[in-house]
Amino acid sequence: MASPLEQFEIKRFLPILVGNADLSFTNSALWMVISAGAVYAFVVWGTSRRAVVPGRLQSLVEMGYEFIASTVRENAGKDGMKFFPWIFTLFFFILAGNMLGMIPGAFTFTSHIIVTFFMAICVIVAVTVIGFYVHGVGFMKFFVPHGAPAAMLPLMVPIEILSYCIRPVSLSIRLFVNMMAGHTMMKVFAGFVIAMGLFGVFPLAITVAIYGFEFLVAFLQAYIFTVLTCLYLHDALYMH
Amino acid sequence: MPGRIRAHRASLRRLAAACALLLLTGTAAALRGALADDAAPASTDRVVEEVAGAEEALETGHAAAAEHGSAGMPQLDATTYASQIFWLIVTFGVLFWLLSRKALPRVAEILEARQDRIAADLDRAAELRAEAEAAERKHAEVVAEAQARAQTQMKEVADRLAADTARRIAALDAELAAKLKDAEARIAASRDAALAELRDVAIESARVAARRLAGIEVDRAAAAAALDRVTGEAA
Repeated sequence: MASPLEQFEIKRFLPILVGNADLSFTNSALWMVISAGAVYAFVVWGTSRRAVVPGRLQSLVEMGYEFIASTVRENAGKDGMKFFPWIFTLFFFILAGNMLGMIPGAFTFTSHIIVTFFMAICVIVAVTVIGFYVHGVGFMKFFVPHGAPAAMLPLMVPIEILSYCIRPVSLSIRLFVNMMAGHTMMKVFAGFVIAMGLFGVFPLAITVAIYGFEFLVAFLQAYIFTVLTCLYLHDALYMH
Repeated sequence: MPGRIRAHRASLRRLAAACALLLLTGTAAALRGALADDAAPASTDRVVEEVAGAEEALETGHAAAAEHGSAGMPQLDATTYASQIFWLIVTFGVLFWLLSRKALPRVAEILEARQDRIAADLDRAAELRAEAEAAERKHAEVVAEAQARAQTQMKEVADRLAADTARRIAALDAELAAKLKDAEARIAASRDAALAELRDVAIESARVAARRLAGIEVDRAAAAAALDRVTGEAA
């Protein structure tokens, strides 16, 4: 029986070397391209008719648009709408990655820590840059808790800074672990189906159940990543 | 604060792009450093050898990963990181560019057009309603005016009739009074005439009575004087 982790292996389809860096086109890259293409095709095809009374696909696109718009407005505030295209791309790219990864044989690029971590780092760096841009040096006050006694500040400010720096770690690990654990679990139970012969119907039933559950997780994790990004953006724009 | 964000939006975007680039180059540099242990040191005049060395390094990395594969997680194979980050930036960047330039404005346009249409329809409905209300007001005004006019006309007629009646009654009264006065005068005249006749009768009666009873011929003047004396005594 193949290892349940085999599905996460990176396979090089087209080796590309730039200097010493290996930028090969891999199965991960392929599914990133497919995901991006799917999102773009979804939005463009959906709105191609520009109907005043929308059809089914256009309604879906509009719902997605309004959904992200309301998420940004509620979590990042009105000024957060300046960054709407960024959040929209983030959500739908992750969602497409998670959902397309549910196709048997497909590769889930969000199940790799480096991908989620890089996205999280970019989010935090961008948010921090925005924070300093909007508030100048005053953004440092973000790390000073409101109403804390002055004597406690030497202890609390480093803790605040530490918790701020932990954000990309928790943000990326949450997404990566959820995607990886779900896929691994499915593979393990699917392996039991063959191994248990006739009694394999039980793990088969569980696999089906987990499969359905995984769709929920795929959506939820994309949403959580997006909402947290919006909240961090809110912190940067308004400071608490 | 929002103004500041709006004003510096372009530069903000440039800054974010720069940050992403910095991160990418940083990761690439770190990777190159990691690989440099095995590969030949970088040098401009030995590009071919360098590439060959890098490929060699890649192969060894591959082998190590494959060895690891059965035991460790593929996620921890650092030789794949550069490729994943690179393709992540490329795909995400292209998707972001396409969506923010073309697709999302189109969706916003559609939603806005619908909003405008609905707002326009609502405006038109409000306009029509205002028009209807104005018409209704006008109608009520006209009705009220007509009623007022009818009322004044009716009052006029009634007044005129009343005045007419009063005048006729007054004329009738005057006529009746005149007739009454006439009649009274006539009655008084006939009475006076009757009374005078009565005197004549009395005088004649007295002369006749005197002639028949006493055989005295009394002339008319004496009889009248005697009558006057008697009626004066009686009165």
